[in-house]
Amino acid sequence: MKNSQSSAVNSEYSLKIGWLYPGLMSTYGDRGNIIVLAKRCEWRNINTEVIKLNEGFVVKKLEELDILFMGGAEDVQQQIVARDFRAEKIKALKSKIEDGTPGLYICGALQFLGKFYKDADGTEIKGLGIFDLYTEHPGEGSKRLIGNIAVKTNLAGLEHATYETGKDIVIGFENHGGRTRLGKDLKPFAQVVKGFGNNGEDKTEGAIYKNSIGTYLHGPILPKNPEIADWLIEKALEKKYKKKINLEKLDDLLSQKAKESILSKIT
Amino acid sequence: MLISKALNIGSGSTWPGHIALNINANFIVNILNKNKNLKVILIAGTNGKTTTSKLIKTILEQNGKKVFHNEAGANLLNGIASSLIKNSDLIGEIKFDYAIFEVDENSLPLLLNSLKPKALVLLNLFRDQLDRYGEVNLVADKWRNSLGEIDAKTSLILNADDPKIAYFGQGIKNTVKYFGARGNKLQNHDHASDSTYCPKCGSKLKYESVTFSHLGDWSCDNCRLKRPKPDLESYASYPLPGLYNKYNVHAAVLAARSLGVLNEKINKAIKEFKPAFGRQEVVKFNNKNIQIFLSKNPASFNQSLETITELKARNVLLVLNDRIPDGRDVSWIWDVDFEDYLKGFKSVSISGDRAYDMALRIQYAIQNYNSKVKIYENLKTAVDKSAENLSNNETLHILPTYSAMLGLRKILTGKSIL
Repeated sequence: MKNSQSSAVNSEYSLKIGWLYPGLMSTYGDRGNIIVLAKRCEWRNINTEVIKLNEGFVVKKLEELDILFMGGAEDVQQQIVARDFRAEKIKALKSKIEDGTPGLYICGALQFLGKFYKDADGTEIKGLGIFDLYTEHPGEGSKRLIGNIAVKTNLAGLEHATYETGKDIVIGFENHGGRTRLGKDLKPFAQVVKGFGNNGEDKTEGAIYKNSIGTYLHGPILPKNPEIADWLIEKALEKKYKKKINLEKLDDLLSQKAKESILSKIT
Repeated sequence: MLISKALNIGSGSTWPGHIALNINANFIVNILNKNKNLKVILIAGTNGKTTTSKLIKTILEQNGKKVFHNEAGANLLNGIASSLIKNSDLIGEIKFDYAIFEVDENSLPLLLNSLKPKALVLLNLFRDQLDRYGEVNLVADKWRNSLGEIDAKTSLILNADDPKIAYFGQGIKNTVKYFGARGNKLQNHDHASDSTYCPKCGSKLKYESVTFSHLGDWSCDNCRLKRPKPDLESYASYPLPGLYNKYNVHAAVLAARSLGVLNEKINKAIKEFKPAFGRQEVVKFNNKNIQIFLSKNPASFNQSLETITELKARNVLLVLNDRIPDGRDVSWIWDVDFEDYLKGFKSVSISGDRAYDMALRIQYAIQNYNSKVKIYENLKTAVDKSAENLSNNETLHILPTYSAMLGLRKILTGKSIL
């Protein structure tokens, strides 16, 4: 671990991390992803500002953001968010994503980026339609997809951690009723090694579109898989400063240990 | 009934109840019908069930009543059936005045279906084990449905400060008493807050003051729903530290009053109260003081951290397990506000099945991680070493999840509980 007391004031780089609906879309430990992104920047003297975009936020605020994050939510909260996401907000978010702004969208947020979500009693809730995917809940009484999950990621240009065990494995915890199906041109974020993934059938997990990652992995995902946090940070720096910036390595022994201890339990 | 009693499987086990319910699904209803004089009190809520049950038991016993309680977290239907078996004789007669049952969130609707409690205490609803209980809103909906058919003679004791719980009292014909606590006007919500939206219309709630998490003096500007005026929000003395225990005491006092216990008896019992294991009980171990604070979800963890900080704790042992009673998903530790509390600590020891997950959380929360934090994979070693490293008059504060607390009990007292 780099000395975290070092000041980031004179850094040459800075990033703005946008947290979409922290009050509403933050069900279970999602905040951990924000903590990890901000700390890993801070430890490398990259100035960061976490900007919380709550209900009723001004569309213009989206423009200045370098990394986007949105967590999962309960149905009631998700409906409030859906109401808040008017046409101009959808358009603004879509252009950020199309433009290659890196982002991480967990669980409910992944479903929300898709075309629609059909809930347990068949009601269709319209999604933002940015990702070519849809989600269906097979109905009351069907099995929820719950448990520790291990996946092999497809993320291109991902600097894997230097350790050997589970080198390209990403670990998390999934808990969802909806089954997600990807359109034929949309790439999954990863292939399921152990667990359910998008639908428990086709071995796909999440989706990756440009620099946006959608995934069902809670855990939260970034603490135990810091290489994904670094991938997001690198993409953000590259986009903002228009050059490849290599991140200083950090001591990630603990995430490795945490990852290994779950891997040994489930595989 | 006879069979399971005769089998005499270890007391505290939930197997006798399991067997009885398998043989006869109406077992609980039948045995209660047979014992019409037995009055049942139900306690439900995410946090504080065991302490509140124990408080009510102590008060009623002080009042000369014979009381039993489904101890040791046996709070599913089989645990309740087991507790009935354990406290009945061979012909199914129960020679007690009161049965106090703490009830798991999912079991409450099932129980309300089959019995007529004298009093029902609903403490709070926090985020807890989404993998097991599902979303907080779903639990609240289930409770609401089952309250629709509750016996008209059941007294309800509700938390005025928890919007979802307080709202259960709206439009119900039963006698309702509300407890609350005095909050802080300046405080922001903890990160772990859940119900900051109106239970009636879904608008964002306004808070005049907050005690912790989403509890406080709330109101809705849209539909005008607001916190009911509490019948009790402070008490002369508290047997346990921590704001969350004030709620437990207020709930227990109102429950006791609704059962007709006189104030002086209540007072006396509260003064003499001894906490349940793992709920702030001080234990001597190798001549060192150890105090345990069960910490099983973000709200209870934040309250434990707040309380030990007030007690000037300097050394803490965090034990994180991911077994069935703890919840398999440990994501919630990222909702705990470690950043606010651990700054002044001298040492932070970490153990449990998911010790590395907890260590990782702490690494991202504090400065000087390397000099303060020690990880022990083995719980016994963790307790031995952390106690050994204390200066003479220091206390080791242990914050375990549920199954970790049971493990600790075995280590510290040599006894196990189920």
